[in-house]
Amino acid sequence: MYLVANIDPTICGATSCTLCTQFCPEANTIQYDLSRKTAFVSVDRCKGCAQCVWVCDNMAKHHAIKMVMIDQLPEEFANKLTKNMSYEQENLKASPINK
Amino acid sequence: MSLDYVKSTPGFEKFMPKDYRDLIDHGPFGKKVSVSQVGTFKEIMEEHPMCAGCAMTLFIRLSLISLPNPEDTIIVGTAGCGRLAISQAAIPFVYGNYGDTNAVASGLKRGLMTRFPDKHKDVVVMAGDGGLADIGFSMLMHSWFRKEKFTTVMLDNEVYGNTGGQESGMTNIGSVLKMAPLGKKFDKIDMPDLAKTAGCAYVAMVVPNNPKRVEQCIKKAVLIAREVGPTYIQAYTSCNIEYAIPTDKVMEDAKNVENDRYQFKEYISDEAKQYLGEKWGYKEYAKKAIQTTEVAK
Repeated sequence: MYLVANIDPTICGATSCTLCTQFCPEANTIQYDLSRKTAFVSVDRCKGCAQCVWVCDNMAKHHAIKMVMIDQLPEEFANKLTKNMSYEQENLKASPINK
Repeated sequence: MSLDYVKSTPGFEKFMPKDYRDLIDHGPFGKKVSVSQVGTFKEIMEEHPMCAGCAMTLFIRLSLISLPNPEDTIIVGTAGCGRLAISQAAIPFVYGNYGDTNAVASGLKRGLMTRFPDKHKDVVVMAGDGGLADIGFSMLMHSWFRKEKFTTVMLDNEVYGNTGGQESGMTNIGSVLKMAPLGKKFDKIDMPDLAKTAGCAYVAMVVPNNPKRVEQCIKKAVLIAREVGPTYIQAYTSCNIEYAIPTDKVMEDAKNVENDRYQFKEYISDEAKQYLGEKWGYKEYAKKAIQTTEVAK
């Protein structure tokens, strides 16, 4: 068994912070759900470095991320796999550059 | 090298892997994305074999998100840790020999300027401190002297991390490493000042603990390199294996190093400021450009 990051959606959903998505060294691993307004982890890509835990505890000060064993995830494992993720297209806004 | 290469053949969409379909439907190609939207779109970087918690990976990921036109970009790299992640991105990657990255990039950029005279094609060199400051030093300096129009990004982990921890020119004085047991005898090479002297139009020193700043630096560097001249970014990307940093303390280390010896420094030449202000709508430089012209009158 190994550790993966797990984000508490009730604490994360109460804020509009997206720091962990920006600080994760793995691409497409911490995703952001715009309807629930919470970040979530695709556990099959998580390498368990716990950088997001440090960022959430020390920079954002929300304490929403904990490392848990992969077989003790609160939600079902299958729900957190990359192939079950979806993206919200309409939120790709134009950046100020190149106007 | 255009938006067409991220389309799949009609009728075959459902047979493509989900990652590929996501890249076509929700990828950043042809749209303008920023670091603050990360997690809501498919990134061009994919899963890679780099160590868990590596700050270099974080920097590469942020820079790939920040590229102004990823579909018109070619990245040139060389041996080292960085290429493990860069080669997993949906951007053409040229693997130069050790030492000749900037020579390859010079030829590539000149060829692209001849082939596509009416379009901007960006070339970005992304290599480690060994590949640029030690082995590739002469090619790097000569590409700057010749004012070749491309961006050079140094992923400075202050050690040869891929081969077991030998000292590099960018290692700090006195550092004791696995393959440098007596400690380093001479100072870290001052690359930003060398770049400035050699005639770079934009020079920056960044640490990846501020993603927005990394984004701004990469955008400015790539845009300035299109028309003004060579640009250089030096990023501190710690090696948590060779320097024995626990993975969850990588950002704390980055913060300490930023306060110690890696303060954010930025140099933009006047010509580049004017270019950014006039062509790309950077307000802070537009004002300064007006002021300087008034003084000149």
